[in-house]
Amino acid sequence: MLEVMDLTKKYGKTLAADHIGFTVPDGRIGILLGPNGAGKSTVIKSIAGLLRYKGMIRIQGQDARSLEAKRSFAYVPELPYMYDALTVREHIEFITRAYGTAVTEEEAERLLGRFELTDKQEKLGNELSKGMMQKVSICCALVIRPRVILLDEPMVGLDPAAIKELKTVILELKADGCTVLISTHMLEMVKELWDVTFVMDKGHIVGTYPREAVADEDLEALYFSVTGQADRKEGI
Amino acid sequence: MGAVGYLYLRTLRNRIRRALRKPVTYFYLVLILFYMTAVPMSLRMTVDTLGADSAHGLVTVLTVFAFWTIPANLIAYARRKGLVYRNSDVHFLFPAPVSPKQVLLYAHFRTLAMLLVLNLFVIICGKVLFHAEGWRLAVYFVFSVFIENLLEASIMLLMYGSERLGEKQRGLVVKAAYGLTGILVVMGILAYLRGGLSLQTVTDYLHSDLVLLVPVIGWYVAVLHLLFLGATTVNVAGTICYILLVAVALAAAWRMKCTGDFYEDAIKYAEDYEAVLESRRQGNAQSRPGRKQKFGKARVNWNGSGARALFYRQLLEYKKSRYFIFDGGTVVAVLAGAAVAYLSVWEDGFGALENFAPFVIPAVSAYVIFIFTALNGKWAKELLSPYTYLIPDTVFRKLINATAMQHIQSLLNACLITLPGAIAMRLSPLVTALAILFYVVLSANKLYALAVAEAVCGSTLGRVGKQLLQMLIQGMAVMAAVIGGVLGMAVGGVVQAYVLMDVFLVLFTAIFMVIAMLNFYNMETA
Repeated sequence: MLEVMDLTKKYGKTLAADHIGFTVPDGRIGILLGPNGAGKSTVIKSIAGLLRYKGMIRIQGQDARSLEAKRSFAYVPELPYMYDALTVREHIEFITRAYGTAVTEEEAERLLGRFELTDKQEKLGNELSKGMMQKVSICCALVIRPRVILLDEPMVGLDPAAIKELKTVILELKADGCTVLISTHMLEMVKELWDVTFVMDKGHIVGTYPREAVADEDLEALYFSVTGQADRKEGI
Repeated sequence: MGAVGYLYLRTLRNRIRRALRKPVTYFYLVLILFYMTAVPMSLRMTVDTLGADSAHGLVTVLTVFAFWTIPANLIAYARRKGLVYRNSDVHFLFPAPVSPKQVLLYAHFRTLAMLLVLNLFVIICGKVLFHAEGWRLAVYFVFSVFIENLLEASIMLLMYGSERLGEKQRGLVVKAAYGLTGILVVMGILAYLRGGLSLQTVTDYLHSDLVLLVPVIGWYVAVLHLLFLGATTVNVAGTICYILLVAVALAAAWRMKCTGDFYEDAIKYAEDYEAVLESRRQGNAQSRPGRKQKFGKARVNWNGSGARALFYRQLLEYKKSRYFIFDGGTVVAVLAGAAVAYLSVWEDGFGALENFAPFVIPAVSAYVIFIFTALNGKWAKELLSPYTYLIPDTVFRKLINATAMQHIQSLLNACLITLPGAIAMRLSPLVTALAILFYVVLSANKLYALAVAEAVCGSTLGRVGKQLLQMLIQGMAVMAAVIGGVLGMAVGGVVQAYVLMDVFLVLFTAIFMVIAMLNFYNMETA
């Protein structure tokens, strides 16, 4: 379970996140939506332990900054950055050591194979294309068998086959009881995945919509009705 | 082995393997070895003349070095800007369940290789120049690599990792570092007022007991005194203070709670650092981490059309820059020019090389261009922009306009490097002009040689192949110039030699330039 409680973050005098609170229970997929500058990245980086903040974030009931919480948490950032001098396989090795996860050769092979990285295992980080880096980033997140996973624009740069595979993986994680939070602008890509949607604007959560509550309402229509972006665009 | 150890060792192993496959690595290794042996050898006479050829002299030099590095490191750590993380660390290491203290030590230990090289250099200088005893140098090496490094790591952990020290407290540490420096400066001024300006005054000041009592810096100097000059009451007291400082800092760093609050500052610095690397790759040598390049307001009169726009856009960028077209290369040119003039006038010529005196300037120019000139200037940035290829103009005009500012910069540096020496050596205006031309053409040659390598290799042979090819083709041009010089001396004299050198170089450069134009046909060759 992922719990964000009263999260507040300021950059100088700018309030990027103002008393944010939401929860994504085990086995549910949360979607974080919002226009550019809404504060999504701030929330995501705070959950990943990359920023100082006020408030509390809990991962599986533990303070997100604790090593125990980090062991069960995986993060796929918006832009993947590889270690120039490590191969794909060495990235996996490093991550399993860092998280203390026992992974067999076959398991690692199978995971890399799902994202068509089998023949790229000995490639160095700086020899990969952006799309390949994103695939490695996703594999590194999955190899630790997380209980909570945070994906920031995970589909960007992926080919259609990889997007399809990622969607399958996300549904498998859900079935396995993992908590998933996805931040994205590609609403079409997540329309069949989400259980609960959080819409952010100007540093606030302006709407929380469990799927059961909004029935068959289109995610895009929901987003525009809350943020008013469509009206703003029409007014130009 | 833990994850951080694995990351450190595997990265190091892969980097070494990759470096060993690059021919340029061997060139730099030879250069480093040359410097590490040639510098102490060349300074030997000066050190002997100054009467500093003893352990006393070594302590003097190390003291000056400590005055500079200790406050600088303290300030950098207190501002959380001393450690370099890459974006890959932010991606993988920061969110991982790895102790933030380990993350800090990982960044610190990445500087270990440089520390070892520097200490090795001190050992060589200590033996060759200052005739220090071997065992004392060995103890110094161990002290520097282990004890001093332990203190630095502890201070770094406290400044970066402590979540009890707020920005205000860290600001106080910065002020304290400036305060310590201020105390040393005031003591230096007092010593000058008492003893006047002489080498003896400076040495007496650096070795005074008062200096050894200044916290941190003085205590470190006290250890050096004890090690190289023998025990005195003051340096033993200073050494005890230093050891206590190490123990206290280590214990505090060990016990300190650290959950990773510093990640935010480290990420900011990592982003700045990556931006600087990218900016430098694109030819902006002025870029510094944490300092966004400031641009002023400027205007240009856009004359002409087509590829001319490239020239005026570059000119506008330079006019908006703080230092216009002046950069590190300008400083190097000024220093090199001054050094040639100094050697010529004050050191009574060039010793054994006196017969080659008229060619010292082109030789120094060639050295400076090879070693200090950036391979890619603003022109290389043009090759990365699709607009360069879309501009409806000839490739010749695109090449000329994209590189024109670089040639103007070369002309400026050529004047700075040539004129002081030419005046000092009383070279004729014609030879001076030919020497300036030599610099400008050789710079252009280097620029186009890389462009030729780009055009020929593209991305097929990789960076190594490109470097090899560039070195090979530029080597040919330089060899031709040398042959021209020798021929010229054989048939006439200095003027003829310069003329032939320049003619040969111009011919090669023109050929390279024609091939370099291929780069501007389409983006693929870039």
